[in-house]
Amino acid sequence: MALLLLIALGGGAALAATFTATLDRDTITMGETATLTLRFDGEVPQVEPALPKISGLKYGNVSPNSIRLNINGVPSSILTLAYPVTPQHEGEFAIPAITANVNGQQLATLPLKLLVTKASAPSAESVNSGNEVAFMKLILPQKKVYVGQTCIGQLQIYLRDDVQENSQPQFTGTPADGLSLGKSAGGGQAQAHAGNHNYTVLPISIALTAMKAGKLTLGPFTANMVVVLPSSDDLTDPIFRQQRQMMRQMGIRSSFIGGERKQIPLATEQVTLESLPLPAGNVPANFNGVIGDFAMNVTAGPTNVTAGDPVTVRVQISGRGAFDSVKLPDQTGWGDFKLFAPTVKFTPADQLELSGTKTFEEIVTPQNAGVQELPPFAFSFFNPDDGQYHTLTQPALPLVVKAAGTVPLPTIAANKNAAPENQTPQDILPIKEKLGTLTPATEPLVTRPLFLVTQSVPVLAFLAAFIWRKRTDNLANNPRLRRQRAVAQLVRDGLNDLKKFAAENQSDEFFALLFRLLQEQLGERLDCPASAITENVIDEHAILHAAPKATLDGLRELFQLCNQARYAPVRGASELNSVAVKFEQAVGGLQEVKA
Amino acid sequence: MKKWFSYLARSIKKRRRTAALQDAGAFIAAPGAREASWTAPVLWRFWLALVLSLFVFAGNLFAADIAVDFSAANKLYAEGKFAEAAVAYDAILKTGGQSPALLFNAGNAEFKAGHLGHAIAAYRQAELLAPRDAELRANLAFVRNQVQGATLRESRWQNWVGSLTLNEGALLTAVFFWALFALLALRQFKPALAPKLQTATRLAVLLTIFSGAVLALQAANRFNAAVAVVTSADATARSGPFDEAQSVFSARDGAELKVLDRHDDWVQVANNAGKIGWLSQKQVAVLPGA
Repeated sequence: MALLLLIALGGGAALAATFTATLDRDTITMGETATLTLRFDGEVPQVEPALPKISGLKYGNVSPNSIRLNINGVPSSILTLAYPVTPQHEGEFAIPAITANVNGQQLATLPLKLLVTKASAPSAESVNSGNEVAFMKLILPQKKVYVGQTCIGQLQIYLRDDVQENSQPQFTGTPADGLSLGKSAGGGQAQAHAGNHNYTVLPISIALTAMKAGKLTLGPFTANMVVVLPSSDDLTDPIFRQQRQMMRQMGIRSSFIGGERKQIPLATEQVTLESLPLPAGNVPANFNGVIGDFAMNVTAGPTNVTAGDPVTVRVQISGRGAFDSVKLPDQTGWGDFKLFAPTVKFTPADQLELSGTKTFEEIVTPQNAGVQELPPFAFSFFNPDDGQYHTLTQPALPLVVKAAGTVPLPTIAANKNAAPENQTPQDILPIKEKLGTLTPATEPLVTRPLFLVTQSVPVLAFLAAFIWRKRTDNLANNPRLRRQRAVAQLVRDGLNDLKKFAAENQSDEFFALLFRLLQEQLGERLDCPASAITENVIDEHAILHAAPKATLDGLRELFQLCNQARYAPVRGASELNSVAVKFEQAVGGLQEVKA
Repeated sequence: MKKWFSYLARSIKKRRRTAALQDAGAFIAAPGAREASWTAPVLWRFWLALVLSLFVFAGNLFAADIAVDFSAANKLYAEGKFAEAAVAYDAILKTGGQSPALLFNAGNAEFKAGHLGHAIAAYRQAELLAPRDAELRANLAFVRNQVQGATLRESRWQNWVGSLTLNEGALLTAVFFWALFALLALRQFKPALAPKLQTATRLAVLLTIFSGAVLALQAANRFNAAVAVVTSADATARSGPFDEAQSVFSARDGAELKVLDRHDDWVQVANNAGKIGWLSQKQVAVLPGA
């Protein structure tokens, strides 16, 4: 926003530019806020100047203000940027020169100093003389408390009778060692007199809880308050003063009718408090740290129910004390009941919520017809007024529980005291507490295609096993078929070996294997022992007459090559490879011949 | 979950490395391409794992939400707010999930709220999921006793067959069926075992036939014997599927009737006396047979 403003104004300057920085006060007390004002006369910068970062000083949001002037026909402008400056600690702060670029000209301010002093309560002399416009007091009625006890502290703000208006106090420090600050509430006004002035007293009550034993300190509390005091006109002109008083009585604010606004730092003295530990003796077993003075009332209804039906138990604890620590009394003896989480409601009787009534409403359901009463409640607390522990007990409340519908029990599990099976149930059985396994509402398995298709798996497996069995049996009963398959496998393996021997140029092994393979293949075709096969069978056996001539010629050549190899074994790898190819072709033709 | 996260981290690392290689230039384009082709199945598995994890996560959230709603409905019931509890249970059922306990409690709430028909309908649906739940049967019997006038009663065989859910019957039959064919296949692989497996095979045949017959009865009952439970205070069955048709008989809240036919928003029903009439679908809850 400020940047936009700067840019908007940055056009028509003509006079020589100046840049100054000022503080509205050079000394403030801790908790107060000073105002740093940057002023540009004549010309304005294009961008907002950067403020120096100073440890312990915090700048607030800028408030810009601009004025356009025309001096003897020459346009000019004044821009002020006001920054609230809040110190974080006491001490002297040096604000260095701030620089800004105005139309290419580098301008700088002078350094500034800000002294921050400790906030302290005014002296008794100053207060009694009526010199203070406003001051603040912290009062603790009790000087001794027990650990955990809540007491009330009172803060009193005094405003002199010439204060025309005042803002709400802005607290800047509320130190408390060993005390916890609770709710606060303002009360009615009172009047006091000091010196020649009357003071209006604004009391604020604060709930304080002692958190530890020993000496506890509270304060000094510090705050800021803006007050409106009479202007100099009011003091000098009684008629003018009277008119303004009338306007104020009509509710017209000081911003319309004038007056001097002043920020007043307020500070109290530090007060001390002695915190005592709770007595160690005679502590009730069910005491859980509740301190105060209480009464208990327990009601329940309905008291004539069926097992599983709800009964509402209402426990009311009323009195004065720390209600935050008041819990529903222990229910260890309620095993025959199902207990639902109670609802809790607190009805305060004062603004600080230190007195009132806390109501616990709990739904319980008796689980069986044997239940005859709601067990007693016991509630213990420590009363700081008499320094003793107290236990409040509520006697057991009679309850009539009827049996719910009977569930047929297995014979083995039925006991002698169980209700007879033919007894007419009086009500339905109670609800189930556990949700169980949640399943989506889906179609039954028998309508799902995947399930149905899956059922074909065992049938197919059986059919596969059946076919395998048939083929195995066929093979077992046919020796020629077995031999045919065995030889076919032998030839397949042998061809690989032949190629291997050929590659390694192992002529002897090659032809020995070739001869054996020829014997095996021809023996299988002619159904005679392999060892009985020689080249002569090619012409002698009638079965081979059906073979193609090329096949028979190939076989003859292969036999002859095997014979020649015995006398001239050395051959090249390429020749051996070509022989292997011829063998493959001859065997292929031979296997076509019907045996 | 820890493994899943480490897998996710590895996948992302590989993906970044591949991208870096591909950006690096022509010299490493080929390795990058190899990397990309190598990571393709990894990415595919990553996405699959992500989708599955999301499904599981969503499923857990869904179940957790329903458990909270269920407890809230139970509390309403315990406080005596039965109508509100019934609405709460119904809202859970409308999310698509169901359990015997949920339907049981819904039936209780409807009964306590004075809705016999809705209570019976809820109990019957619970019975389809948990037919042997003694508490459920007790409450169903109790509520049925409160119904005034004639109502359909299941036959003994229907009760007997209904003691198994349809899915239990299907699985039982499938187990016997698989066992039978496993034995037959074993006999093919090991013929020597055939004499020893003879008794087991015969038993498997008998059990398969028996369980198959039970399953057939269950399926017939489920798909061909739908039941209409009257959910309005008093329903008048008419001679035809229109409001102006002559009144045939009337049925009270909670009465169970056999469904014969349907036409638009009308259901043709028969009571146990054999009278047949048409009821508006708004007056009944139509349920599959037990």
